[in-house]
Amino acid sequence: MDSFFTRYRNLLVLLAILLAQIVGLAVQVRRTGAGSNTLDPRDEPGVRLIRLWANALVSPPERLIHSSKLGAGYLWQNYLDLRHVREQNRDLQQTIDRLRLEQAALLEDARQGQRLQGLLDFQQKYIYKTVAAQAIGTSGSDQSRVFYIDKGADYKLDRDMAVITADGIVGKVRDVFPHTAQVLAIDDPTSGAGVILETTRIRGILRGNGAGQPQIVDLLADPRIQPGERVLTAGGDLVFPRGMPVGVVEKVVRDPERDSFIDVIVTPAAHLDRIDEVLVITSTQPRFSPQQQQDLATSEALKGSEAAAIKEQKKASEVMAERLPGLTDPKLPPDQQPLLDNSNPNPVAHPPQALHPDRFTPGAASGPAPATVPDSSAASKPEAGSKPSQQKPGQEKETTPDSGTTRPVPKTTPRPASSPGRQTTPRQAQPQQTQPQKDEPRRNP
Amino acid sequence: MSVLGADFRRDFEIRRYPFLVYGLVPLTALVLQAWLPRLLGPYAWFDLPLVVTVYFALGRRSPIQGTLMGAAMGLFEDALSHHAIGVNGIAKTMAGFLAASVGVRIDVENFTIRLMFIFVLSLLSSAIYVFVYRVLLGLDLDWGWFMALLTALGNSAIALVMFPLLDRLQLQD
Repeated sequence: MDSFFTRYRNLLVLLAILLAQIVGLAVQVRRTGAGSNTLDPRDEPGVRLIRLWANALVSPPERLIHSSKLGAGYLWQNYLDLRHVREQNRDLQQTIDRLRLEQAALLEDARQGQRLQGLLDFQQKYIYKTVAAQAIGTSGSDQSRVFYIDKGADYKLDRDMAVITADGIVGKVRDVFPHTAQVLAIDDPTSGAGVILETTRIRGILRGNGAGQPQIVDLLADPRIQPGERVLTAGGDLVFPRGMPVGVVEKVVRDPERDSFIDVIVTPAAHLDRIDEVLVITSTQPRFSPQQQQDLATSEALKGSEAAAIKEQKKASEVMAERLPGLTDPKLPPDQQPLLDNSNPNPVAHPPQALHPDRFTPGAASGPAPATVPDSSAASKPEAGSKPSQQKPGQEKETTPDSGTTRPVPKTTPRPASSPGRQTTPRQAQPQQTQPQKDEPRRNP
Repeated sequence: MSVLGADFRRDFEIRRYPFLVYGLVPLTALVLQAWLPRLLGPYAWFDLPLVVTVYFALGRRSPIQGTLMGAAMGLFEDALSHHAIGVNGIAKTMAGFLAASVGVRIDVENFTIRLMFIFVLSLLSSAIYVFVYRVLLGLDLDWGWFMALLTALGNSAIALVMFPLLDRLQLQD
């Protein structure tokens, strides 16, 4: 017997180790209701212990390497390579100004959206609190697309928290260790995220394929799905907030196993191969966070009035363009339209002030207020020679500011006296009002 | 090619290393395997733990030590992934055992043989991985043999550089 063990010692050790590992594997796999095998997403205590040990052994050197790299980079970027910083600062300041304008302009829409969501009892979740983290390592295998971040239970991270970058979603927290956490990327075959196509509003599930590309699976063939369409999170998976960028449709391929189904290959918005800094969403709430509210208030205070003025000016010029078809040339591109030409070669002189105003004096006429183009000069100073008495019954007068032309408009609904920025006539209805005027003679002052 | 008998060469050519080398080199391989893909992205076509396993198995010429080293490295790799623990363990256990067993019988000092050997073992390790995952566990696995081939080539290239460096760490009598 002794000689048997001595002779086959190597083989026996090999078999014993293989057997132990096979038994260990059998414990980790369970059978689903559909009859297929799957890995338990939540590790058994023993398995988790092994992962914890491996992580405790590998993470400190990884953090050390990462810190050294960061230190060297910090030294270079903040002390040695400071060229063009002033230019960058100026550019960034301009970008901030522009973004403030855009934010202030969007603020009202956001508030309106919130009010409407409140009416519909729809709970939109806003990102309330995030934790910034650095990616310090990977699994080392292209079959397991997970990576490790340098924040863990010490920063109150938990399983299934969404991990994002400024570009788009990255993945979700799969496991949390004391000082690190494992993140399952969206290009792993075992991941899953609810997504929606931006224009076609088709919903699906995003997961990775063998080549490491995210794809939307289990979709019925639909010719509307075209490359280039943006993919957003749908918000139904209770992991990712709704509306976050996921990527862009790269191509549509047939499902090799099912004829009528397709797979939509997605180019991820976040650079999944070069993940450095990420944000872990630790809390979402159905309202703006205090920080976001403060930012909005700052934007409103700093640039809100300016943005509102620009918005009103744009609206006024749009209305003016529609009411003056002669000033828009359909053959020219929008930026070369004569309406946009500010250099007026023949400025119109304003009428002198009347010494003895009477009822024919411009601006002194009573009666229904005319619908005017929302331009301050036009609203307050009618052009020389405009004669309210020439208007026909059943028609209201419309005054265009630059030419001083007065055109009769068929009376439809009584409109209140317009003021700058208050013109609310629907744009599409406008041509129907102005069309009959082409056949009527224009009245020159 | 040496004409020495297997047993004689085994006694004569067993390599010994400082105790720290047995711990630090595998740990460094595991850390680099986990860290380098962050730099190289999708071009990380190598498996450093397998290269180290094969090196020590060939140098020590002990199937038991090769088996244990392979099992430990594989289990660590599995523990860092989110897959079942043991798939890589089984693959590298077999690789370590085979490397030590075959290393007793052939001359592994020849660079060409070393490269071919590590290339074949890399492919074999990949095949065992797929077998365990798909057949033994019955799980779905998207697998590309082209990537496995690239990894095998990468392992051979790394072995070409790493083996002479590690040879310098061995104890001289």
